[in-house]
Amino acid sequence: MQDLSFDRRAALDGIRTIAPLAVPGLPFGMVLGFLIRDEGIDRLAGWSSSWMMLAGASQLAALNLITEGASALVIIMSVLLINSRHAMYSAALRPKFAEYPAWFRFAAPYLLIDQLFAVASSASELEGSSLRYRMWHYLGAGALIWTIWQVSVGLGIFLGDVVREEWSLEFAVPLLFIGLLGLSLSNRPSIVAAIVATIVAVAGREMPQGSGLLLAIVLGVAAGGLAETATKRVSE
Amino acid sequence: MRLWLLFLACGLVTYATRASFIAAGDRIRLPEAVERALRYVGPAAFAAIAIPLVLGGDGLSEFSADVPRIIASLAAGLVILRWRSIPYSLVVGMCSLWLLDWIGL
Repeated sequence: MQDLSFDRRAALDGIRTIAPLAVPGLPFGMVLGFLIRDEGIDRLAGWSSSWMMLAGASQLAALNLITEGASALVIIMSVLLINSRHAMYSAALRPKFAEYPAWFRFAAPYLLIDQLFAVASSASELEGSSLRYRMWHYLGAGALIWTIWQVSVGLGIFLGDVVREEWSLEFAVPLLFIGLLGLSLSNRPSIVAAIVATIVAVAGREMPQGSGLLLAIVLGVAAGGLAETATKRVSE
Repeated sequence: MRLWLLFLACGLVTYATRASFIAAGDRIRLPEAVERALRYVGPAAFAAIAIPLVLGGDGLSEFSADVPRIIASLAAGLVILRWRSIPYSLVVGMCSLWLLDWIGL
């Protein structure tokens, strides 16, 4: 049994790595909180969605559906569809996480939002580090992003509309994903995957509740895999 | 109370999607080709989220493409490809947007 006790340096490194990726969550969380306040949704219950779900896009969809008076079943199904990309994140991380103890494999997915997936799946930084280091790096990063999310949604709920529209702070969210995209482009197959996913996502953007997004990711991944096989054939 | 239960159900659904493969660990094994292709989830997912967000306001209605946002996104994209730093690309992207809005493009 190897030593997996708390590693302070790893946790701090994780916090440092995720911090710039966590900042764009602030205006997004505050807008979400303001929506809860503005629509007269019970404040504590609304805030609880942040720690129960920890998922910006699907929280936003759920809140919008609640205000439209949708049925619980419709809301839960929409959340499932929007979050189905996380099952692909989970599948992508499975080999890397298979050697972790069971408690961590059950605890870690609770924190697995887009930014943390980007950090955990990127090969460069964590390559060659110990299991213990990688584990506490993940938990440190997750703790920061969790805290920022709870605080920002809470600020929006209890302080109200402090984010002024003319500051365009919500633009930080697309910018964040452009950044994550740029960092994830490491070879030709990854570029193919991104191009195919972009085309499908743009063409399928009218599809209901994020199903176009899911289709785009599936086809992008398939294209990336095929491109990798093709590149290998050519080079052999 | 109903609302709490609804969010709890949404939370469980969210957790289930995220835990699906990770929690199973070595009890699930996907075909090797699938496993290799899954390494491209990152670029596929981030592109599929980012580009429609840039092209259209809420991602639900028609393109509300406004020129400053597209230019600012391109600037941020160039920065990330050249310097591989998210803080730099965020600063350049936001400042470009503010500048372009200010000169009234």
